[in-house]
Amino acid sequence: MFINALLYDGKSSKEHQVIIEFTQNRHIKIDSHGINVALEEVEIESRLGNIPRVFEFPNGVRCKSEENDKIDQILQSLGIESSKTHKIESSWRLTVGAVFLTALFVWFSLTTGANYTANIIASMLPDDTLKDIGKSTLEKLDEEYLFPTKLSEENRSIIQAHFDRLTENEDIHYQLHFRSSQKIGPNAFALPSGDIVLTDELVKLSKDKEFRDILGVLAHEKGHIVKKHTLRIAIKTGISGAILGYLTGDISILVTAIPTVIINSSYSRDFEREADEYAVSELKRLNISTKYIAQLFEELAKENKLDENSTVISLISSHPMTKDRIKYFKSKDEKKY
Amino acid sequence: MEEKIIEQEKPKTPKEEIAEYKPFVFKGDGKEFFRIWIVNIALTILTLGIYSAWAKVRTNRYFYANTYLNESNFEYNAKPQRILVGRVIVVGLYGLFLLFFQYLGMYDVAIGIFVIALLAMPWLVRQAISFKLRNTSYRNIPFRYAGKTSSFYYLFLVNGLLPLIIIMAISAFIPIPFLSLILFFIFFGYVYIKFKELTITNSYYGNARFRFLGVKEEVYGIYFKIMGWMILFMAGISTFIGLLALLVSIIGGESSEVLTQFASQPDANIENVPDTFWATITPILTLLVYLPIIFLQKGLSDGYFSNFVRNNTLLQNAKLKGDINPLKLAWISATNVMALIFSLGLLYPWTKVRYIKYKLEHTYFKCSDYDQFKSLGYEEGSTIGEETLDFFDIDIGL
Repeated sequence: MFINALLYDGKSSKEHQVIIEFTQNRHIKIDSHGINVALEEVEIESRLGNIPRVFEFPNGVRCKSEENDKIDQILQSLGIESSKTHKIESSWRLTVGAVFLTALFVWFSLTTGANYTANIIASMLPDDTLKDIGKSTLEKLDEEYLFPTKLSEENRSIIQAHFDRLTENEDIHYQLHFRSSQKIGPNAFALPSGDIVLTDELVKLSKDKEFRDILGVLAHEKGHIVKKHTLRIAIKTGISGAILGYLTGDISILVTAIPTVIINSSYSRDFEREADEYAVSELKRLNISTKYIAQLFEELAKENKLDENSTVISLISSHPMTKDRIKYFKSKDEKKY
Repeated sequence: MEEKIIEQEKPKTPKEEIAEYKPFVFKGDGKEFFRIWIVNIALTILTLGIYSAWAKVRTNRYFYANTYLNESNFEYNAKPQRILVGRVIVVGLYGLFLLFFQYLGMYDVAIGIFVIALLAMPWLVRQAISFKLRNTSYRNIPFRYAGKTSSFYYLFLVNGLLPLIIIMAISAFIPIPFLSLILFFIFFGYVYIKFKELTITNSYYGNARFRFLGVKEEVYGIYFKIMGWMILFMAGISTFIGLLALLVSIIGGESSEVLTQFASQPDANIENVPDTFWATITPILTLLVYLPIIFLQKGLSDGYFSNFVRNNTLLQNAKLKGDINPLKLAWISATNVMALIFSLGLLYPWTKVRYIKYKLEHTYFKCSDYDQFKSLGYEEGSTIGEETLDFFDIDIGL
């Protein structure tokens, strides 16, 4: 059995055309260079695509041959198994299988996997780090979007009293910040540090003199903090980034951008639901009906319908999600008027 | 033309007459690489990452062995087992750092690890260069690297850190606008040349030494060209987007509002997280605009700098040449990114082959005698430098 090859002696860059012979007694012979060694002493590179196959001889000589198929045949007839990886690569079915396996893995890591890991990490992160993150975020927001509150002292003290009742006897130090913001509009949000920001615009929508609806919103925001949602989003973004980064290799910019897009659009809904559930349980604990918060949401929805073309897009408008949430809060109202 | 006449006038070595520039040829193709790539990933997943070392070797073998010059191909000789060891060490150290820094809050230990890594950086870079070269061979003769570790510390400290401190001091005391920017500009060109000299002039192919003749003035020229093109690109793209926004606002008011709103959205955890169609689509649209711009720039600078390095590198008397069209490479780079996005990454093998093929086939080598080189043998060594830079995705541009 013969194959054509190129020989390099390993001493100079000279190239020699040679014929390699595989003998019946399992020897490899190159007559022109006086080479005659046992098959086992020659390192034959595993096949990869159609790149020339390298034969490494013990004395530093290397041969290269492009006759891949013929080499495979010869090796098989001599009882040497060909590369398993190459078998997978050349099988149409297994390659498709690899595509599905990879897709499945990526999907799983970006959803359940990232979720699970993020929860673990979030629960391990020390509170000091959280405080720092919260402080710097609030400062940044104050510079651009938030302005001092214009609410009356009286109204603020009512809400503050609600807040204190809601957050007493907790490990985390919660703090309520009143701000006005035309840009953000009627809204409230929580920072992982325990800081909760409430806009005047939302308070103005309240139809309850005692602001029990606002208490509902605060409980919802507290839920975000207790369940560490912001943090989980951040960690998940990081984890997904790392996974995609590994898979895609050298296009690291894609990697940082894509997870943010995916996460912001899909994970948030679950978090809102979770925070709503938390709010309901808190309201129950404080013995306050959920009808107030349901009313407030109705107001929010109305507000958004009215000025659909305004610059304020809270994007809750006639959205089915808001409707569902109103329905949810109403269903949890035990007193049923 | 003139060059040829001069060469013919000195008939000392008759072989020099027939020397001509030969292009590198790339024989791999996207379809074939796709199978290798996807199987690599699947096996890496199934083996919980252990196979990644074998995957790296197979990928590199594929690209090296499909690169031909004068009808002989290159070879990648790294051993996956050694790469795996390097990987385990690097990942382990990084894990240790994370453990101390993020979870245990033992900042002094974490900072200690960080400082040690920082101090080891010049050494690691040298290691990585050496690894790449000694694992590359052509006609059974490996490349090798002879640069000293001390030279790397000299480069980092004296050529790098010292001018940086001086620049900062100057711009702190002399309040001229843009002064520090101009100084940085001068500094980058200077350091770039120093680094190229250190890497290339200490590289060998067998017994033959490489030389680098590039000067920093040319680097400044390249900076200006890249900046000029980028300003043109940005102007073009923003005009296009402006027109598009105008068109959209004429047709339907709502969507354009979302587009303008997107810029002023605070990124905190706001109560009602937008999840309508437009809120999902705007970040993606933004991505589709800014990614191609970044990749245009990447391709452009890669084109200019690759040509610059090739045209200034010699192997003994043999010459390299590059005639890559930077605009073409920028186009390839930007369209590759779009292809990746729209194929959810599945076209990655095709984009990689396309990019490398274009670069290689516009690289030439002129050598009178391909048989003249002598080998000094293969050697093995540590993989830590290579794996550190690989893990943190640091590109030293070899």
